[in-house]
Amino acid sequence: MPITILAPKPVRSTHSKPATHIRNPSSSSIDSDDAPGGANLASPGPGNPDIMDFISSTAATRRTDVDIVTPGETITDDPQWMRGHGTYTSQPTSSSDTLPAIISSVAGTLTRTNKLLSVRPLRARYTPEVGDLVVGRIVEVQAKRWRVDVGATQLASLPLSAINLPGGILRKRTETDELQIRSFFAEGDLLVAEVQQLYQDGGAGLHTRSLKYGKLRNGVFVAVAGMGGGGGVVRSRRQVWTLDAANGGGQVDVILGVNGYVWISKHVETPETANTTTGITNLEESVSATMYSSQNDQIGVETMREIARLRGVVTALVENGLRVDEDMVMRGYHEAVEMALLTGDADDIYLGGEKGEQLAAALMAV
Amino acid sequence: MASTQHVLLSPAELAYLHSSLSQTPPIRPDGRTATQFRPLVAETGILPGTNGSARICFADGTEAIVGVKAEVEATGRQEEEGDEEGEGGSGNGNGNGSDWVEMSVEIPGVRDDDSGTAFLAAMLSEAVVADGGLVGRLRINGRFHWKLYLDILLISPPLSYPLPLLSLTTHLALLATRLPRLKSEGDEDPFFDDDWAAATYLYPRGEKRTRRPPVTLLVMAVGKNIIFDPSKEELAVADVTLAVSVGEESKPDSEKQKRGRRLKLVAVRTVDPPSRLTPPGVPNAVNAAYGAGGRQKQTGPRPVEPEAVEGVWRAPRGGAKPVVMAALVQKTLEAGGVADEVLDALDGVDLG
Repeated sequence: MPITILAPKPVRSTHSKPATHIRNPSSSSIDSDDAPGGANLASPGPGNPDIMDFISSTAATRRTDVDIVTPGETITDDPQWMRGHGTYTSQPTSSSDTLPAIISSVAGTLTRTNKLLSVRPLRARYTPEVGDLVVGRIVEVQAKRWRVDVGATQLASLPLSAINLPGGILRKRTETDELQIRSFFAEGDLLVAEVQQLYQDGGAGLHTRSLKYGKLRNGVFVAVAGMGGGGGVVRSRRQVWTLDAANGGGQVDVILGVNGYVWISKHVETPETANTTTGITNLEESVSATMYSSQNDQIGVETMREIARLRGVVTALVENGLRVDEDMVMRGYHEAVEMALLTGDADDIYLGGEKGEQLAAALMAV
Repeated sequence: MASTQHVLLSPAELAYLHSSLSQTPPIRPDGRTATQFRPLVAETGILPGTNGSARICFADGTEAIVGVKAEVEATGRQEEEGDEEGEGGSGNGNGNGSDWVEMSVEIPGVRDDDSGTAFLAAMLSEAVVADGGLVGRLRINGRFHWKLYLDILLISPPLSYPLPLLSLTTHLALLATRLPRLKSEGDEDPFFDDDWAAATYLYPRGEKRTRRPPVTLLVMAVGKNIIFDPSKEELAVADVTLAVSVGEESKPDSEKQKRGRRLKLVAVRTVDPPSRLTPPGVPNAVNAAYGAGGRQKQTGPRPVEPEAVEGVWRAPRGGAKPVVMAALVQKTLEAGGVADEVLDALDGVDLG
């Protein structure tokens, strides 16, 4: 069947763990001991609902089961709460004696930590931090630097001085390098880099001065949506690893950029491991030989199939609101291989729609 | 802005995609088979103020809604009125009922008069009108007819070329369209039944089952493979892309009992795939930054057109071969093929 058309699903809760509903404490799970005198001005009292509805502005009474707030929505004006991320307090006007209210600044789910109210955005762009491993795409080439799309609010910049120049020893960059800047990275090229510094305006400065970083080839790219809903790439101990693919797929590299950009490619032996005679002095030299190549190696069909399967696992994880990290991807991959074996066709790599849900359910069950 | 509208892929990615799609069977990045569509969620009757409406949502988040509104119009009058109100570059045509259907397409982040949007609207309305079945249905009597306004809205950013999505949604909306029941007779001024429950479907179902509105499918070819419902990345390496509009042919009475439908080709348009504008890859042999020496100077002038090297992306050159185009159309139309299955699946949607 080439096409499946499903009926729309009933609305389900957007978050896995039940968040506490602040605006209506009588029906929520706020512990009684940490809400002493938890009178909430914005919640309707039992006695006079009509008047209380009127007072409690717009949003107090609707949607008691879903905790999604929209920008500008008053969360509470009870002074006992503190504001956290994704909220701001209104400045009370001098004429009225109202208390400062906590207002949401993003669309997201309300979470509460003791007395701290914060809103987790449904969708957010990546916020760079120093030391993050990111996958980025060159969108602009300037005289002495590249501008890189890393999924943040601003383009990151990669200065020419922050890359390993070919030619072995760490040499000073020359005018020739500036002139042939496009031979290192051109528009559209993908690279893996590390955030080296943050600028005043929140933009990131990247560097690729390590043998681990550089141009990407021999594989596929997949961008998973930003955080929110529990899905997406999370910072973890290992963002890059090599796995032995099933069905004779050989070795496959997976790079999970902290920014939600994922690269899955065939593992290519670096000269370091291939040639043991390479000393530490000329290591740089031999590695940098292939560093700026945009020519793919020979890739077998089995490897391509397993790469596509891994990509399916990553998208299935995201579509079902699960986190993407080494553990989940590996478990998901093994589960996907098992599922394919059960159907009798190991070449069946499709993991969309219902199969993705099956996969997610199997992962959640363990 | 960081997220660019056009596809920006590196030459290494393009080369990988092209080689994986050229395998037999093709390995698509999302694991689908060559003829498989992305799973979609469909519902109808979502807009109470319209005569018919539908919503379709792909798993990747692309979503479209279509609303159909009908208005009574005097048949003889359109000559004086002219075609001023043509919006979205659509429907207003040269007599014979083609201006009885007016279509407007709206895509977020794209201007109304953008050539791409106008082209989309033209393709969609062309298929609906060229089918010929619709115009006859819109006639009320000798003096009046229904005028249909189709508003097609893509409500998510265009993550992939939205033509198939919009076409399927339009098809569903037309299937769900109901017109008030006519009470007057002959050529007198039309007079309708107030009761909406008595309204009749524009395309009746069940016993009086008639031809369905056409659907437009996007088909592409990479090497020897023919791939349906391509995603954005797949389109970026397409050799040829066609928009094939498929309608249903009315059967002669002798075949009425047989199961299945007779498909006919309504329209074909070539779509310029973005692959032609992609930058070529640089083979290692001529890469200045390749090699341990880190060649500082180029040895001699670079050849204008480097030869094809395994693993290096080269944008497709030249026009589409007629053989390939014919194969694409053939594959779409064959009995029990993709178009047949798509129409079957759309028939199964509950019209509420």
